[in-house]
Amino acid sequence: MALIMVVDDSEFMRVRLKNLLTEEGHQVIEASDGHQAVEMYKQYKPDLALMDITMPVMDGIAALKAIQAYDAASKVVMCSALGQQSMVMEAIKSGAKDFIIKPYQTDKIIATVRKMVG
Amino acid sequence: MLKVQFINPFLKAAYRVLEAETGAVIEKGKMTIEDAYYTTNDITSMIGVVGDVQGTVLYGFSEKTAKELVSVMMGKRVAIIDSLAESAVGELGNMITGVAMAEMERANYNCRISPPLLIIGRGSMISTLSFKRLVIPLNTQYGEVQIAVALKESENAGGNIEALEN
Repeated sequence: MALIMVVDDSEFMRVRLKNLLTEEGHQVIEASDGHQAVEMYKQYKPDLALMDITMPVMDGIAALKAIQAYDAASKVVMCSALGQQSMVMEAIKSGAKDFIIKPYQTDKIIATVRKMVG
Repeated sequence: MLKVQFINPFLKAAYRVLEAETGAVIEKGKMTIEDAYYTTNDITSMIGVVGDVQGTVLYGFSEKTAKELVSVMMGKRVAIIDSLAESAVGELGNMITGVAMAEMERANYNCRISPPLLIIGRGSMISTLSFKRLVIPLNTQYGEVQIAVALKESENAGGNIEALEN
């Protein structure tokens, strides 16, 4: 079992991911914007973060950079509808371990999470 | 200047997202060009676009259609549009716009989008100012989803509009 932080401004997406990950036996914490995600990362040190990009207050790329600056060993997977090549490259360059494009395919999420946390 | 090709990435994205999320079978309605006030449906999701192309995209749903779509997305019958259901409707607009941005990038238009803003209540008037709108209804087994695209090419944008033809 891993501790996974789900970061998305959409309550619906957080609930969907939480249900899926809980069924897989993981513990889930939730953040609704990038700033909250950075604070929660420092407090809980999750094994993995699934991070949306387009969010209010602080977007997912800025949060990814802040988390990486705090913990270079952090595992952050970006989860976004913004599938532009430039966005994927920026995320990977900033330290993201993978990129899942919405609309989600459940098996892709499960496979990525298993790859990241075993 | 309004370019009708800008509707195409949103159509492709709407087909992909609505099919993946709800199994919707979509029949495209007739596109119109509007420049008067936009009149909201029961629920309207509004998303801003900035970058090589800028403006606003609006997604309009009747309450009945929103309930039908969200029920499929959530895997259970939704009787009222609460905050969770509202966020699902907002996410539909977010996903369609996000996927459309990837299509735009293939034509060398690089853009970012804002988080969705929901307008609840039929009959509000929204001005897209000097931006004319391309409006297209998508008919599904759950009801109609209306897409209104009010976008302009930014100055010095290096996009290839012909790449958005279909």
